[in-house]
Amino acid sequence: MRAKTGRPLFLLLASLCATHAWAGATLERVKHSGVLNDVLVNTYPPFGFIGADNELAGFDVDVARAFAAKLGVTLHLATPGWETIVSGRWVGRWDICICSMSPTEARARVLSFPVTYYSSPAVLTVHEREQRINSIADISGKRVGVGTGSSYENYLDKALVIPGAAPLAYPFHDVIVIPGDETINFRNLALGPGVRLDAIVSDLATAQSYIAATHALKIVGPVLYAEPNVVATEKGDPEWDRTVSLTFNQLKADGTLAKLSRKWFDRDITLDAH
Amino acid sequence: MPIEGRFRRYVWLTWAVLFALLAGACYGLHLDLGYVGEKLPFLLGLRLAPDGFIQGAALTIFVTACSMFFALLVALVTALGRLSSNPLAFALATFYASLFRGTPLLVQVLIIYLALPQIGVVLGALSSGLIALSLNYGAYLAETIRSGVMAVPAGQREAALALALPRWVIAWKVIAPQAMRLIIPPAGALFVSMLKDSSLVSLMGLWELNFLAQSYARASYHYMEMLIAAALIYWALSIIFELVQFRLERRFGKGVAALGRR
Repeated sequence: MRAKTGRPLFLLLASLCATHAWAGATLERVKHSGVLNDVLVNTYPPFGFIGADNELAGFDVDVARAFAAKLGVTLHLATPGWETIVSGRWVGRWDICICSMSPTEARARVLSFPVTYYSSPAVLTVHEREQRINSIADISGKRVGVGTGSSYENYLDKALVIPGAAPLAYPFHDVIVIPGDETINFRNLALGPGVRLDAIVSDLATAQSYIAATHALKIVGPVLYAEPNVVATEKGDPEWDRTVSLTFNQLKADGTLAKLSRKWFDRDITLDAH
Repeated sequence: MPIEGRFRRYVWLTWAVLFALLAGACYGLHLDLGYVGEKLPFLLGLRLAPDGFIQGAALTIFVTACSMFFALLVALVTALGRLSSNPLAFALATFYASLFRGTPLLVQVLIIYLALPQIGVVLGALSSGLIALSLNYGAYLAETIRSGVMAVPAGQREAALALALPRWVIAWKVIAPQAMRLIIPPAGALFVSMLKDSSLVSLMGLWELNFLAQSYARASYHYMEMLIAAALIYWALSIIFELVQFRLERRFGKGVAALGRR
């Protein structure tokens, strides 16, 4: 008798779940629809931004195009908020994220990282007229801006673990970490040394694009560390992850990634990625 | 009449002076107006987004108009429940209104977009946004409608009953027009506020006005230009809302116009 009353509820749940893309379905879905749904960030120049022709442009977009072409499928781009991407559980909305994600333990819990596609050097940027800060050792007690939730924030908190790399050195103490929007941080730094911020830790390419835009900033000291940037997929489809990894290795081997990197950065940032 | 004319003249004059001051302040920022002009057709939504969907202000208006419609439906039902003597209807209405007025809209948007899929309901970006905005503003609007209905003197209803008018005629022809006069000003304020809150749907990757302004700002470092342009477009849209509200107020206020409305 119990089974009988339980059945309609079960059927209802089963039918609800039918609309739910179950794990393992990504490769099937891409194959059948012939469409690759890629997510990226629209406010991360020069990796992802809206260009002069109102189309998404940037290194990540070009890599996604090359990847979709290699697979022989049509590329669809979506640009939801970063928090909706990194919180995982995409439930079939998106197939892949070629979006300059750095792998962290927390993200690895909800996403898979089939392949590293480039390596980004972290650098310290200060105002042009800055006299007191000449290297990372000088930021003790200073106000340093970082993107909220970024690996640079983890670095200043002395809590950054790069998978497969030696532990980092942290030659500073009592840094006042100011997490915020990267664009606004760079604007604040450009106001003058110490006006709102003393320095910013960010990706080299990001720093270079703001230096070019403001003519008021400079990079000091050597590269702090190099961080892998990975392709992310939804957890639970090892076959899709293998396809992604194989295809990216082909794009590396045939020089496509290196060519795209030189187009955007005048150098090959995909070299150290493995 | 001459007094009325003088009042108007001074109102327009004051507006013109304030507007000139504002424009002067903007001029002081040394904005790159060429860049604003270049991006304006996109911000206004005169061209389609790369995926063929509407974008910019056109999408903002679309999202707001749809949410207004659904919010109004939700609010009417909720207000009825709130005025009902049925305990179940009353409880449902008060619970819903309390829940959606008591939690932040941003959280509601994220829950509808991110948490509903966990129980098997995968909604698109646009429908998630519309549902969140409609449910949130429906809860506020329900209270506005209720207050309007309750403010109609009980004598009106009693008089209509004494004339043996059918219930729907009392509701539609006696109560509603009088309640409308009181509902319209606060409802108009809510819709203006909704127009601006519609920017929250950019979180799900919809290319509405605020999304485009922020994207262009970051891609080109023209931050002030894009933010001010977006702000002015929102303001212009709000003024259209206010004008509609003014017309409606005049229409439903006809009965009491003689009591000293300017």
